[in-house]
Amino acid sequence: MTSTVRKSLLVLAVVAFALLPLALKSYGVYLCTLFCVYLMATFGLNLTIGYAGQMSLGQAAFLGIGAYIGAIGLKAGLPFFVVLPLAAIACFAVGLALGFPALRVQHHYLAFATLGFNVLVFLVMRNEEKITGGTFGVSGIPRPSLLGLSLDGSLAFFWFTLASTLVVIGLLWWLLRSPWGRAFAALRDNPIRAESLGVNITTYTLLAFAIGAMCAGVAGVYFAALVQFIEPAPFHVSTSLMMLLGVIVGGSGRFLGPVLGTVVIVLLPEWLRFMQNWYLAVFGFAVVALMIWLPGGLLSIPERLRRRAAPR
Amino acid sequence: MSAPFLEVDGVRKQYGAIKAVDGVTFKVGPGEIVGVIGPNGSGKTTLFNSILGQIKPTSGRVAFCGEDITGLSPLELSRRGVGRTFQTLQVFVKLSVRDNLIAAAQEFKGSLMGRLFAPPDAGLGEQADRMIEMFRLQHVAHLPAGTLSYGQQKLIDIAMAFMAAPRLVLLDEPCAGVNPSLVDLLRELLVELNRTQGGSFVVIEHNMDFIMQLCPHVICMVEGRVLAEGPPAAVQANPQVLEAYLGN
Repeated sequence: MTSTVRKSLLVLAVVAFALLPLALKSYGVYLCTLFCVYLMATFGLNLTIGYAGQMSLGQAAFLGIGAYIGAIGLKAGLPFFVVLPLAAIACFAVGLALGFPALRVQHHYLAFATLGFNVLVFLVMRNEEKITGGTFGVSGIPRPSLLGLSLDGSLAFFWFTLASTLVVIGLLWWLLRSPWGRAFAALRDNPIRAESLGVNITTYTLLAFAIGAMCAGVAGVYFAALVQFIEPAPFHVSTSLMMLLGVIVGGSGRFLGPVLGTVVIVLLPEWLRFMQNWYLAVFGFAVVALMIWLPGGLLSIPERLRRRAAPR
Repeated sequence: MSAPFLEVDGVRKQYGAIKAVDGVTFKVGPGEIVGVIGPNGSGKTTLFNSILGQIKPTSGRVAFCGEDITGLSPLELSRRGVGRTFQTLQVFVKLSVRDNLIAAAQEFKGSLMGRLFAPPDAGLGEQADRMIEMFRLQHVAHLPAGTLSYGQQKLIDIAMAFMAAPRLVLLDEPCAGVNPSLVDLLRELLVELNRTQGGSFVVIEHNMDFIMQLCPHVICMVEGRVLAEGPPAAVQANPQVLEAYLGN
């Protein structure tokens, strides 16, 4: 497939997805918007894990930090476009701090360090009632308006979120095509060699965490505006695990991998609901099967087919 | 030997009672190629790692262009123009050959923020292509390095060390595991790089023909110490060296 055909198909897919909610009921529109929100977070996580090779089980914590900053800021009457960079900067700073353990430990040790961070943030959200509302949460979060146009309606907010998601994805594409992307890949593939070639592995490790966290923080603000009520439960470690699953199922380190992965973690369970009591079991089985037969993720299928078709 | 460029003075590395490197002293002049030979376990790689900041020497001093670089990190050394290759293959397996070469030099171009806004090839595309041509890797330039043969990866590994035109390169067993025709090519490439880039090389190698033809000056290490030093023919004929390699 040529590059032009591929790009045209991509544009068609985006247009089709943008028009899809016109044919859906309100829950369907909500799911499409939630899909966009999760996309921002999983694209960020793909940078941290897939491109820079740093394990993270704390992405939901950043989604939560962004969501609470969004909720509190928007409720206080701050404009959306002030709250958004505040959440992004806060998550960048916290992500930078979370990157420090990665300078000392790797792989499953790092996974547990980031998991511990997620638990800690979750407990703060649940117990610091004065700030977060504890288990009662924060309700009545207003949706933004854009150039005087209200985005209260579910369709308008979906298109706004979709456009923002495309901007985030576009920025990540640009960043990963720059020499930074190559430095992240060098860090992932061989940090010892990378350092001997002048790659500052400390800086790039911290940046990988901070940029990934920033994407989740931005997603969190949209999440708060989407659901208009937040409490700690959506930011539990289980959400981080689902996001990790999204990155791996889609194809870790493949730019569009998170799109397919997020379909699996957000939309697939909903499509399987017709199976009633069995839907989670079938979902679990599908994930196990995917991991066994496609360890490189869904986006590795064309590569596998090409390899199979190649003469031996 | 011309004025010293790299000075290794009494470097020791001790692990408990084991002296892996025991007071090694030698000098390398500008543009000079020095070979380091010795049986397995004689401390050659430990010496390299002590010079290159991979491990901290127990004692001794390493100076580069008159500056004390003892214990500096590999990152700091690379910024001073010191490059290296490792005993085992060390390429970026998922990056293409071309990207491996660009990655090997891009961090020396501009600032961190400057590189974010730089073109994708960091302005090193042409240089990478020249290196690819020199190392005869044109037909695989766009393939991921990890999918190539051992010999091809070895060539990439060595080409990467020279992408930033370092002033000093330490090569750890460049011929290990490569076929004889590639050994000849490697020697020709190193001679060419020495002539065009003008850097100094220190080469650890077990392939005696390779060392004898490439290096005008050879050091032989045994049990962490320098046993003999001088022109290759003299070192090769040294009875102590023969005994160390072949036994009594």
